[in-house]
Amino acid sequence: MSEFEIIFQVLINGILFGTMYGIAAIGLSLIFGTMRIIFFAQGAIIIFFAYICYWLFTLLGIDPYLSLILVIPAALLLGAGFYYGLFKEAAALEQKEVSLLIAIGLLWLMENAMMVAWTPNPRTIVTAYTSWVLRPGGLVIPFTRLMALLIALLSAVGVFVFLKRTRIGTAVRAASEDMESTTLMGINPNWVNAVAFALGIGLAGTAGVAFATVYSFDPMYGFTFVIMSVIALAFGGFGNVFGALLGGIILGVLQSGASFFVSAGWADAICFGTFLLVLMFRPQGLFGKKV
Amino acid sequence: MANQLLEVKGIDVFYGDGQALWDVSITVEEGAIVALVGANGAGKTTLLKTISGLIHARKGEILLSGKSLSNLKPQEIVDRGIIHVPEGRRLFSNLTVLENLKLGAYVPRARPFFAESLERVFSLFPALKTRKDQKAGSLSGGEQQMLAIARGIMAQPKLLMLDEPSLGLSPILVKTIFELISALNEQKATILLVEQNITQALKIAHRAYVLKTGEIVMSGRGDELLANEEIRKAYIGERVSKR
Repeated sequence: MSEFEIIFQVLINGILFGTMYGIAAIGLSLIFGTMRIIFFAQGAIIIFFAYICYWLFTLLGIDPYLSLILVIPAALLLGAGFYYGLFKEAAALEQKEVSLLIAIGLLWLMENAMMVAWTPNPRTIVTAYTSWVLRPGGLVIPFTRLMALLIALLSAVGVFVFLKRTRIGTAVRAASEDMESTTLMGINPNWVNAVAFALGIGLAGTAGVAFATVYSFDPMYGFTFVIMSVIALAFGGFGNVFGALLGGIILGVLQSGASFFVSAGWADAICFGTFLLVLMFRPQGLFGKKV
Repeated sequence: MANQLLEVKGIDVFYGDGQALWDVSITVEEGAIVALVGANGAGKTTLLKTISGLIHARKGEILLSGKSLSNLKPQEIVDRGIIHVPEGRRLFSNLTVLENLKLGAYVPRARPFFAESLERVFSLFPALKTRKDQKAGSLSGGEQQMLAIARGIMAQPKLLMLDEPSLGLSPILVKTIFELISALNEQKATILLVEQNITQALKIAHRAYVLKTGEIVMSGRGDELLANEEIRKAYIGERVSKR
């Protein structure tokens, strides 16, 4: 492999992994937009759906990609359910810390419940196509990673179109600017919050499936995942669908580059260091506008 | 008096432990412009927020066409036809002009009239039509105020409550806004107007209330209050002497 090919390979791996962070970050951005909290349970929910995908495949033989047909509606419903069940009362409060604490509580609850139910052993989905590899011009692109990229891009576009083209999507965008003014339009704040949650958790569902087909996972991985998604979000700037996706891709490339060119041990430290640097000099994110 | 559209009956409103409104009663007749004037902090905005359901009164009652609005949520009050155009315009600045107007017509009651409301708004504010695909945040101050009022009209209001529509605008634009409010009223709109530009507000208002530290201290016809010695000294004279 030439040096150019190696760099290209690192770049591709980074992009493919980074889109995972990206879609998780879009979910965080939507929920942050209307609720003004970082939804820390997002990572655990992604892992939860990775397990759902795993069990559907292992127990019922349902193909992971096909399982999206079940997972996406289930995730959308779960998102709205989480809002009405857990956050509705807290969302009306001026103090957002309460909602934040509920999100953190949900993270621990889900992680620990998954530990008990499904053991801390890492799980991997092995299908007929798990080892398929595309080799365009000397590069190596695993099929499942390419599919993960496609799923991520399609979900990002789907969410974007929903926010742009539908009445309630427009209301969600309005609410992330000014919830009180949105209420004065006659829009129910609970409905807007529930839709943001449904979309956010819906994205967690697709991320979970994409993740499960590519990597092995265990119950505790959700926390790392959500921290990385927060970094992606900070790179991209809050409240910007494609910014969040691009933030995720940048983070993925940074991580993959750092582990290849420096060392795997340093990769996370370099990511966190860059995160702090970005926030120090561009608190609005790389693509966000100055407030 | 004939046809009371809005009746506020003896409301007390608190922020935490502090009382902001004391036994406030006002009425707005169908088709009238009623002005609410007074110094900063007198409770004008608080009264509007209470009417639109953002704050709840601890005592008293608010009726629209004789029906109580107590315990209704803001979105339900909008659906009944009371539209509050808040101070500082509160536009969705990352959304386009058209998207802002669409959200103005969000309530089920207003949706069927969307096309005709839009046409009406564009004929009232031609500038908004040419800028309909621009982000609201890119408009000038005057255009933003027009959009805020236009967004209110999109909701097919029975009562339009305007909070400080002339605030921060140049004298020419202030004149335009007041002419516009009169024009809207001639098209049968009922308007509850909060203004610190008291002279202008009293000139166009049929009736007015003076709020002082949370209480109604005076009320009467606009032109009467405008001629009132006490008002001139307390509010209007003060402005002249400042210059």
